[in-house]
Amino acid sequence: MAQTEQTTTAISTTFKVKPKLQSKPRNPSKTLESKYWSSFKSTRIENLVSSIPSIEFSPKSTGRGVFAAANSASLTFFSAQDFSTVSTISCSDVVTSCSFRSDGALIAAADLTGQIRVFTTKSRTPLRRLRSHTRPVRFVQYPSLDKLHLVSGGDDAIVKYWDVGAEAVLHNFQGHKDYVRCGDCSPVDAGTFLTGSYDHTVKLWDVKADNNGKKPVLEVNHGKPVEDVMFLPSGLMFATAGGNSVKLWDLTGGGRLVHSMESHNKTVTSLCLGVIGKEGGEEASQYRILSVGLDGYMKVFDYAKMKITHSMRFPAPLISIAISPDGNTRAIGTSNGSIFAGKRKVKKDDDDMEQDAEYGVLKGLGNGEEAQRRLQRVVRPGSFRYFQRGQGEKAKEGDYLVARGKKVKLAEHDKLLKKFRHKEALVAVLGKKDPENVVAVMEELVARRKLIKCVMNLEVEGELGLLMGFLHKYATVPRHSRLLMGLTRKVLELRADDIRASEGLKLCVRNLKRSVDEEIRIQQSLQEMQGIISPLLRIASRR
Amino acid sequence: MIRGGRNYVSSPPVFSNDSKRLLVCAGNSVAVFSTDTGLQVASLDGHAALVTAVIVVPASTPGSKILCFCWTASLDGTIRYWDFAVPEMIRSVDIKLPVHSMVIPSLFNHLVEKSEKAVKSFAYICVEAKEEAEDRAKGLFQVRKCNLTDARLVGGAVLAEMKKPEIITMSSCGELLGVRRKRKLDIWKVPSTDSGRTVLKKITLHHTKALTVIAFHPTERILAAGDATGRIMIWRGFGNKTFAMANGHVNGSSMITDEENPGVRGSDDAESCTTWHWHPAQVNLLSFSSDGAYLLSGGKEGVLVVWQVDTGKKKFLPRIGSPLLHFTDSPDPSFSSISCADNQIHLVRRPSMEILKSISGIKLPYSHPEISKGMSSGVSFDQNAGLVALRTESYAVQLYSLFDDRGISEVQVYERNHQPVDEVTIVVTSVVLSLDGSMLCTSEVRLPEDGLGHLVCLKFWFSKSKAGDFSLSTIVYEPHRDAGISAIVFHPNRRMAVSSSFGGDFKIWTSNSGVPMKEESQPNSGWICHAVGSYKKKPMTAAAFSPDGSVLAVAAETVITLWDPDKNLLVAVIGEAIMPIVALSFVGNSDHLVSASWGSKPQLAVWSLLNLSTCWSYRLHVEAIASSPDSSSFAALVLLSDSGGVYDPNEKSHKTVDGLILLFNSAEPNPVAVWSVKKAKGGALAFIRNQSSDEESSSDQQQAAQTLFAYMNADHEYVLFDPHGTEAEELSVTRWKSQSSPEESGQVGYASLYGELLPPIPSRKHTPWSVPSFPTERPWETIFSGPSHNLPPLTLLCGPFLEALFEKRTAVEE
Repeated sequence: MAQTEQTTTAISTTFKVKPKLQSKPRNPSKTLESKYWSSFKSTRIENLVSSIPSIEFSPKSTGRGVFAAANSASLTFFSAQDFSTVSTISCSDVVTSCSFRSDGALIAAADLTGQIRVFTTKSRTPLRRLRSHTRPVRFVQYPSLDKLHLVSGGDDAIVKYWDVGAEAVLHNFQGHKDYVRCGDCSPVDAGTFLTGSYDHTVKLWDVKADNNGKKPVLEVNHGKPVEDVMFLPSGLMFATAGGNSVKLWDLTGGGRLVHSMESHNKTVTSLCLGVIGKEGGEEASQYRILSVGLDGYMKVFDYAKMKITHSMRFPAPLISIAISPDGNTRAIGTSNGSIFAGKRKVKKDDDDMEQDAEYGVLKGLGNGEEAQRRLQRVVRPGSFRYFQRGQGEKAKEGDYLVARGKKVKLAEHDKLLKKFRHKEALVAVLGKKDPENVVAVMEELVARRKLIKCVMNLEVEGELGLLMGFLHKYATVPRHSRLLMGLTRKVLELRADDIRASEGLKLCVRNLKRSVDEEIRIQQSLQEMQGIISPLLRIASRR
Repeated sequence: MIRGGRNYVSSPPVFSNDSKRLLVCAGNSVAVFSTDTGLQVASLDGHAALVTAVIVVPASTPGSKILCFCWTASLDGTIRYWDFAVPEMIRSVDIKLPVHSMVIPSLFNHLVEKSEKAVKSFAYICVEAKEEAEDRAKGLFQVRKCNLTDARLVGGAVLAEMKKPEIITMSSCGELLGVRRKRKLDIWKVPSTDSGRTVLKKITLHHTKALTVIAFHPTERILAAGDATGRIMIWRGFGNKTFAMANGHVNGSSMITDEENPGVRGSDDAESCTTWHWHPAQVNLLSFSSDGAYLLSGGKEGVLVVWQVDTGKKKFLPRIGSPLLHFTDSPDPSFSSISCADNQIHLVRRPSMEILKSISGIKLPYSHPEISKGMSSGVSFDQNAGLVALRTESYAVQLYSLFDDRGISEVQVYERNHQPVDEVTIVVTSVVLSLDGSMLCTSEVRLPEDGLGHLVCLKFWFSKSKAGDFSLSTIVYEPHRDAGISAIVFHPNRRMAVSSSFGGDFKIWTSNSGVPMKEESQPNSGWICHAVGSYKKKPMTAAAFSPDGSVLAVAAETVITLWDPDKNLLVAVIGEAIMPIVALSFVGNSDHLVSASWGSKPQLAVWSLLNLSTCWSYRLHVEAIASSPDSSSFAALVLLSDSGGVYDPNEKSHKTVDGLILLFNSAEPNPVAVWSVKKAKGGALAFIRNQSSDEESSSDQQQAAQTLFAYMNADHEYVLFDPHGTEAEELSVTRWKSQSSPEESGQVGYASLYGELLPPIPSRKHTPWSVPSFPTERPWETIFSGPSHNLPPLTLLCGPFLEALFEKRTAVEE
């Protein structure tokens, strides 16, 4: 049959053995954006003492990425690269909130005793201790455009504006009627900030206003205790989270409600801003609102289209989220003391390539001499290269290209099946660990009436064990069980003596038995469930 | 009337002298194909039965290469002489005996020595001898000599007699003739100056197995023969003793001993005999190349083997995909033709063995294990475009244009390499085209090996352009668990299909959630199951949509259930046929439904949808039903047994079953028209919208002429004609009948009975009976009606009452 390979003029084409198609959902869920968001490879950081109420990434300017997570009475720094613990700062009480200064040199941490402490991030030495709150502080933040002041709010319902250097309160903003839980400083104006409180209101304060903090500049009612509030990058809109909903407000319109997103099932606990799209690319980077809730969902909201573009579930209630300034690392804190940290795989993408190309062009220009030399090196007859000249030539623009016929790429089992070496094909595909292909080869063997013969011919040592292992693993998979259960019975029938003789195969059979028992249990419980449901369906269909 | 779908591979084709044309025996005519384009250029019509041999008169001088004359022989007992360039018939020789094979050695002889012009040409023919009773006792078929110049059989010159018709093989220069007779070969030497009286010298070679094919070496005295087990014998130097003798035949066999003649059996006159064995099954074709250096052989496994005659070395042209039947060399040494069993003729470039062109006819029916008892014959018609979809042996579907008589495209339903020798394990069970031809649905079954791996697969295809190329849209594995599919029907004007199964349920499939087909939607939206229905867990055996698509009729064995396909509600039940129903069809724009059932008491029944009862029925075995889309007539193909009675499927005495096509107006039981046909078992019927341009131009013709009627017989030969035709067209129908069944005319003679009752059909039932069961709305109201003292005891009433409360509706919405 060796000659059969050489002729390509055969009339019937060669078909590969194809696995059965998998059913796909009707609406493909993988949009470009959801692909982006699910490209964060999630790792779980465990064994933290208690819930993680606050996570902060260090600002971009400070070289290596670090994020800080408040965790019980300590503040832990993690590397944004490999999520290993870098260092820890111990505090006297449970830390509720932390904030990096805009240059990343300092970090402020608020705790339940009501004091705010400021540390250097490098040496972790405490620099300042701000004491004025009488009740636990829930929120502290450095304004993004200001290095000297701090904003804080707490259970005493007072919002304070601090001069950090002097450890003194500059302004007390009184207006909230319940615990202040959250706040955010304006990205465009150093003296403006928002605070959200359990009295359902979000208030906008301005340090520069005349009335000296007696009255808020703006006030909106969220309708539920506010858990988080966030300015959008323009500084003209902000988002609030509370209850099951996230609401968008227009600041320039005097606090007009723009949109209310209510797709979480439980309380939304934290908001953060995400970036999608390449920086500096043609598509300007687009911002998304990421929200997490106690229902374990993280939702991505496109506030240009007012649409949820991605939704993702984590196996724990989520209470805080942060995204690194470059948008490549995401950290989500849960209420049970673990962090889901995710990092996008950054491709060595096109910019680098472009750069290389550019570099090449520059080099080419610079090395004009060499190019000339290459031109002069005309291939002369008599050399081997002379026979190969022109073979690597690329087609020019106007040339008619004769397409070469597409070659079917055959896997090893396909080649063996083509040569009618059935048993070897079965063994080859069993070694490949792809159950779909194995079943496809088995089906092809059935069509050739050769499967039983193959089973009979398998060697006891390795090959039969391989098959038994496969059957143990996949015989109860519903997709394949119709074929594989029958085959299992056949194998046990045909090779009973061999199996009895070999210790390893006996073990396989024992495993097999266990998985079959398990399957029977599942089927029984499913039938019980069907018994419960079917009368209900019956009644429902009668209506 | 259009005829077509003929078999191109019944006899070997012949090249014309300039190799520009290929003459192919196709049914009752000879089709002339261009070898450049592979398209048919002409047709030699005139024979009244199957043409069995065609011989091109060879060119004696290079200048005469453009001459295009040929002899043809046919089963109608005539040998005709044609000019196939024009094409017209020049002469006809009537010998009154069916000719099965013919060679004319003298044509090739006077190539060599063209001495006198007035040489008589003699043909050697294999004829069916049936005039004398004593001949029948000896053997039915004779090899005889025929004087073509005088147009008569040469008396007394019966060369051989045998039980079966055999091909006469001639050496390339016409001096030797060979005929195989089971395990023997008879070889005659034709004298260079042939006359009626000359006695031909004959030798016989023997073999242990039945021989299938022989070939003569062009220059040397070498003979090759293939046998049924795949061996190829090569006899060298045969007949040296007998044919070399100047006169008389001396039996020199006594001198021959086995040592001198290795491999030669007994007293055969040959020097040596060698055996080559590569083919696993019967050898079908053998041919020496024109220089005699190579021998080509082929058989059932579909591989052309090229043997080097001197050394026995082999080269292969594999994967032709179908059993090989004939091989023909052309005068142009650069190419030749291979005929395959799937009705394809491949033109092969010679030294490199590449396939240049393929002439592909309609796919022939093939044998496969019977999967279902249903009527799905695997033939589906596209009424508007005049296409027919047929299953092929290589797991594909061929789309064939009825009007153009050529293949349009092939759709590979199951992607697998077809090996002709293998046992058939995958069967494409049904092929259904939607009414507008834009969708195709196929189902296939993989037969289990020892109870393992049984799989039923339903596939939906859509076509993007009008060219008939379909691409796969959806695959449904095990649509009805492991139960077989009995019928598939498409909704007439929406993207909806119904598949019914023997497992007791039917499923309604939709694509694009029922958007009308006219709107162009994205084609690759898949099909999903819209609803499942079942009726008392009975096997669902047939299904049909009403012409407007509002009613779905599904046959649950003997009863017909009517459903609303959108809401999946059981509307009504019509009972009760005698045997399980195998086919259902709504009749055009009338309120009637036709059903056909098989079994010991076959039945053709027409049901009225208005009063849900039978209108009339016949006890007939119906092979196919077709209903006209826009009138109230329908046609049924009825099988007849030998005795003219009702066909019984259990008797297997004959392989071709004659039948009748009855055209009915659904309101009355008397057929409007009757045609008798041959080979009706496995046939198919359809009404096709006429689209030939000349019909369109004469718009004043009556409306009935717009629809043609198509009948395809068991060999996939088809005919298109106008069922309500005028006088002339009726004549043509009878002419066609006389062509297709010449010896039948005396037997049945239904043509004289147009419009009358059918006397031979027994047990006609005129009395319509009322429906035995249909769901009543509120049965409990009737249970307790009447005075209380007349009511039966409560214990008896309890049962019916509770039963009335139970769910009658079996449909389950999904």
